[in-house]
Amino acid sequence: MTYKNKQKWVIFLFLSPWLIIFAIFGAYPIIYSFITSLTDYSGLNPSMNFVGLDNYIRAFQDEVFLKALTNTIIFVIGTIPFTLGIALFLAILLNNKIPLQNLFKSGFFLPSVISMVVISTMWIYIYSSSGLVNTILKSIGVTVQDRSWLARPESALISIMIMDVWAAFGYYLLLFFAGLQNIPAQLYEAARIDGASKTQIAFKITIPMLKPTLFFVIALNTIRSFQIFSEIYTMTGGGPSNSTQTIVHYLYQTSFRKFQMGYGSAMAYILLAIILLITLVQKRMLRSDFV
Amino acid sequence: MRERKTNKVLFVILLVLLFFSLIPLFLTFLTSVIPDGDLFHITQGKTFLDFEKGLMFQKAKMKVTGTKDYKQSDISNGNGKSLYFNPKSSERDIELVVFMLGKDINLINYIEFDIDINPGAKLRIGVKDMNDNTQYSEKAVSFEKEGWHKFRFNIDTSEFDKVDPKNTSQIILKFEFPEDVPNSFYIDEVFAKYHFPTFINFKTVWEENDFARYIFNSSLVSITVVLGNLIFCSMVAYAFARKQFRGKEVLFSIILSTMMIPPQVIVIPIFILMKNIGWIDTYQALIVPSLVTPFGIFFMRQYIEQLPLELDKAAFVDGATDWQIFTKIILPLSKPAMAVLGINSFIGVWNDLFMPLILVSKHEMWTVQVGLANFSQLNQVQWPSMMAASTIAGLPIIIVFLIFQKQIISGVVDGAVKY
Repeated sequence: MTYKNKQKWVIFLFLSPWLIIFAIFGAYPIIYSFITSLTDYSGLNPSMNFVGLDNYIRAFQDEVFLKALTNTIIFVIGTIPFTLGIALFLAILLNNKIPLQNLFKSGFFLPSVISMVVISTMWIYIYSSSGLVNTILKSIGVTVQDRSWLARPESALISIMIMDVWAAFGYYLLLFFAGLQNIPAQLYEAARIDGASKTQIAFKITIPMLKPTLFFVIALNTIRSFQIFSEIYTMTGGGPSNSTQTIVHYLYQTSFRKFQMGYGSAMAYILLAIILLITLVQKRMLRSDFV
Repeated sequence: MRERKTNKVLFVILLVLLFFSLIPLFLTFLTSVIPDGDLFHITQGKTFLDFEKGLMFQKAKMKVTGTKDYKQSDISNGNGKSLYFNPKSSERDIELVVFMLGKDINLINYIEFDIDINPGAKLRIGVKDMNDNTQYSEKAVSFEKEGWHKFRFNIDTSEFDKVDPKNTSQIILKFEFPEDVPNSFYIDEVFAKYHFPTFINFKTVWEENDFARYIFNSSLVSITVVLGNLIFCSMVAYAFARKQFRGKEVLFSIILSTMMIPPQVIVIPIFILMKNIGWIDTYQALIVPSLVTPFGIFFMRQYIEQLPLELDKAAFVDGATDWQIFTKIILPLSKPAMAVLGINSFIGVWNDLFMPLILVSKHEMWTVQVGLANFSQLNQVQWPSMMAASTIAGLPIIIVFLIFQKQIISGVVDGAVKY
């Protein structure tokens, strides 16, 4: 065997773990999922009839799916300003010469390493009728309902959103902090020498320099929020009366509780399309910003 | 000088904010050590019997054996009504039986009641479990005071080794009267004081809800995935970082784009596949799909690429094979990156709910997250045990985080910024 041929084998050998796993658990499912989405496959019996785009049309006529889509969008739009606002605010505070900087970074980040199921369990308790929220409200004289905040359709979704802001901001805080640290100190010095004011520095240097991080973080947060599942599964199961139903949770229920996997696959592909769109928009914005 | 002052103010502000942001965690832990109720209404004990209502109303709560001569009485220790026993002189053992309905007596620290009894009478406590086994305490305690007084009997659960203390149906107060002691007495306000703080919630959750098993499953799956990731991602990354081959950039951009694909898109075919090859409810179903991750390859490639090429070259000249270069040079040099990747994939796998929920249905194969999610759905309002369960599920990750915070944080930052 020539050296070149041998090299080919070596390279193939080194790549093989990925090639195998990707072929079986990546490429094949992606294609199979699309095919399934065009059929009435249930997942229970093997019959699979081609139904064309019916599942996709059905999704946009399905009230629950539309509700789930709306809820997910409300969730995304409602949480982003707060999650990122708090994260950015704290990152800017931390970006001074503060003692125990690392302690703060770790402390704020801590909730982000805890699983969503654990966090949801904690917050079920916080939102319960005799929990922290009601206790505080009662102590300042607000009359409260004797029901969990998660049991009421009008407050369930927003309660989960607040919890998610708490659970997520620490992660974005780290990203913003890293972004701030990457801004060269010379820029600030030069501005100061030229006599720029603090607000000028903030708007002319810090924010423009932070833009790539900002776009990235917004895209990341949006993509993650579109996939929320654990908190819904643990806290409300989509209820009361679908007020906390989200795309992924509905997909889960449809595919693995009601066994309509064809329809579930169509939802998965709609989700994929949304996520790809967000990614493209983010890439586009980043590029236009630099050119 | 002014700057230092503002920094001090910032420090205090941050400290306060940090405290607030960690309140849910404190709350969880504190609630897990209370016996019953919730943190703002801790149930420190339970009044078993108070005799304010007629005996008919007590029927569901108690019964008396050893005599028939007892009645509600107006004489008491200032607490309204009491129960008066006036047995025949031949009846020397009188039992006041309190129904427990399957409660765990491990919770109880002591039993206390108001009593007016003749000195010399003795008390023994008996426990009857759901299987109708009864056991009395070895030693009898004597009453010494005259007139109304409070009497306290400490419960030592280890004494009741022949019954199942977790599911007791009755607690029996057995009054024994020696021959020379008159056997009439008054009793009121029978109260059980719970242990507080207590770790019993952890014990119950750990033993009765199989959290030990869930932790084992999660550990096994996470550790195997981490090992797989470290070896396989580095292997693939080595090829991408050090080798030139046709289609390299195309393959790598495929890897990058698969990072964006949400697991929900591929879960249905994976489920069908696992069902067809009989892997549902197995460890390999949870392990194999995550053995190589696009993020791991990407992350390791970044690191290996910036390692000095001279070392490889020298080894190559000395006749080392690619495998030797990889294992003897690249892997040892990549330790910092591997630590970051390992810890982060551990956390990712440990915390995942979606895939285990779908690929595993048998209880004994559940991971911690599946176990906890189902536990919380079933046990709402049982706050102490719910919080104990979440502490058990969350603590391993918190410990891992406290040990490896540097690697974890740099993993978050490097992974995101380079990407």
